[in-house]
Amino acid sequence: MRGVRSTLRACGFGVTIAVAGAALAACGSSDDSGAGGKTEISYLVVAREGSKAGAQAEIDAFEKANPDIIVKLDTFPEGADGDNLVKTKLSTGEMDEVFNYNAGALFRALQPDNQLTDLSGEAWAADLPDSYKKVVSTDKGMYGAPLGQSSGGGVLYNRKVYDQLKLSVPTTWSEFIANGQKIKAAEPDITPVLQAYGDAWTAQVPVLADFANVTKQDPAWAQGWTAGQKKFGQSPALTAFTHLEQLGKSGLVNKDYASMTNIQALKALADGKGAQYPMISDQLPTIAQDSPDAVDDIGFFALPADDAANTTATIWQPGGLYIPRSAEGDKLEAAKKFVAFVSSSEQGCQIQSDTGVAIGAFVSPVCKQPSDVSQAVKDVQKYLDDGQVAPALEFLSEVKGPNLDKITVQVGSGITSGAQGAKQYDDDARKQAQQLGLSGW
Amino acid sequence: MNRTTQRWIVGGIAIVISFVVFLVPFVFILLQAVKTAPDAGQLSFRWPQEWVFWDNLTTVLSTDDGLMGRAFWNSAVLTVGSVTIMVVLAAMVGYVLQRRPSRLNGVVSFFVLAGLIVPPAVVPTIWVLQKTHLFKSMSGMILIEATFGLSFCILLFRAFVATIPRDLDEAAVLDGAGPIRLFFSVVLPLLRPVVVTVIVVQSVTVFNDFAGPLYFLPGSDNATVQQTLYSFQSRTLSQYNLLFTDILLTTIPPLVLYVFFNRQIVAGMTSGAVKG
Repeated sequence: MRGVRSTLRACGFGVTIAVAGAALAACGSSDDSGAGGKTEISYLVVAREGSKAGAQAEIDAFEKANPDIIVKLDTFPEGADGDNLVKTKLSTGEMDEVFNYNAGALFRALQPDNQLTDLSGEAWAADLPDSYKKVVSTDKGMYGAPLGQSSGGGVLYNRKVYDQLKLSVPTTWSEFIANGQKIKAAEPDITPVLQAYGDAWTAQVPVLADFANVTKQDPAWAQGWTAGQKKFGQSPALTAFTHLEQLGKSGLVNKDYASMTNIQALKALADGKGAQYPMISDQLPTIAQDSPDAVDDIGFFALPADDAANTTATIWQPGGLYIPRSAEGDKLEAAKKFVAFVSSSEQGCQIQSDTGVAIGAFVSPVCKQPSDVSQAVKDVQKYLDDGQVAPALEFLSEVKGPNLDKITVQVGSGITSGAQGAKQYDDDARKQAQQLGLSGW
Repeated sequence: MNRTTQRWIVGGIAIVISFVVFLVPFVFILLQAVKTAPDAGQLSFRWPQEWVFWDNLTTVLSTDDGLMGRAFWNSAVLTVGSVTIMVVLAAMVGYVLQRRPSRLNGVVSFFVLAGLIVPPAVVPTIWVLQKTHLFKSMSGMILIEATFGLSFCILLFRAFVATIPRDLDEAAVLDGAGPIRLFFSVVLPLLRPVVVTVIVVQSVTVFNDFAGPLYFLPGSDNATVQQTLYSFQSRTLSQYNLLFTDILLTTIPPLVLYVFFNRQIVAGMTSGAVKG
């Protein structure tokens, strides 16, 4: 009897909470429909000072051209939190009508075939270069429009130091090391090669940026890697790890490599305290912010291979604009218009180059780089014009082990050898490939 | 060595340790907040080359049309709302659980413990919110924060109710107090120390929650103060001076709370701690 009474009481209690919830819901509900017959869509971008200002400028221009559409700007954080948020929004049908996200492996992790709207039928899609289409497509469709510029992975170097010591840009790995030795001998105060393991992700760059050299020697390497046949433990990819080991042991690296952060390394490079820094050119905005006077002292060259004929710059593709399946009707039409405006209209391109710092080359053929770009950007462009480029591995294969940063820190610090590191990374990638359900691993 | 010197030495060491643990990071935040972007990017303990605190402050406050002000308001509503629910509900549950043993107690305790142990699942929670039309609304977020904190609060209240003599309840009932009057006029005032503890601990937790509002309360209009932090940091460009100014601003409310309620927190924590 007592138990029954308690149950009843508990139910009453539950009802009270439910009522409270409903009351709260009633007072907090908001109206979602657009005002006065206008279509309202929202646009999700990474929360980052530069990208937000650019996005807002794009929105202002777009609303002026399309008075019946209102675009709201939303932001998400960069990194693991942001990846989770994007996936959560997609799987709950709450995704913004247009969103900006990485291309390549991260894009494929979104299950594009189920979540995104196919854009291959859009007018601008036909003009896109195949190299970009590949990184925003699956077998079943093309889902992304390029936003921004592709950047080059290789070595950023200080041209003043090079001029002063009359060095020339190295085309082979031994020349690169020899240049380092010359710098060390002539200017003991200048660090020949900067490494910044305070931000562990930077340690991956020497390995990732070597990938174009691998592709040059074996064009089908990436497919073999996805299929589980090619390994980093074997030539030609092994050199990426053995070179990193040599670099760590060469004595050319700064002494505080273990704690230096990426920003500090870029500053040291711009100040001429360091001569070379293996990095991706998308870091140029930081130099432009922190050392505006030194921007033109910075140059770029591809990470050298053992053989000069194989030295090729690795290209990182910019993220794309995507439209989720949840956008329908008027909103879908408005979203498509907005995507076309931002990524491939002359006005949209102009705003992109006005609001951002140039880091490489535009993907969309409609967009033209202004002529007054920094030297490093010109250097990247030269590799592109000469065709001496290949995409980074993450754009060719979805297999990327999550621990590459830690493994490369160990190799670069001399804790493990290059061969061991390569083997560890193969194991790391195997686990991820098995999780993805790929055959051959 | 006599006892007084020993005490002085131990006290001195304690002060030095707390200085290093608490004040050094705070000074670091302050230093970065007054520097320019290139200077702060070096993340060093050096004296600022240039004092630009005012510029940093106005930049942070005016970013995104004064997002910071909206965020402070949202955080305040969220914190006050959810902590109020937590205090009232947890005190009621804790009181009943302690005072009225029944067969249901085991079940209730199981769910209270489950609330502490089981991690919240994001996507199913959003489904529930969508079904109840609470998604993207402040009221939904308040209920979520209250749910996350409720278990811990119930345990604290339950332990504390055990220290209140039953005689007081009985006296009130004899004098003609109904159950509601008994709870609100007699029991709740006696729970004051633990109420203060719950308020302070949960306020700080809710105020500092980053992931909760990120997933359950999306949209820049709904941003809480923790959400404003990532505006100033990314892989390609970081403005550490603005980031640290923002951190400084977000640190102030919890800091004030601790400074004023310091003694009650410790009292509340320890008074319920040893009794079951």
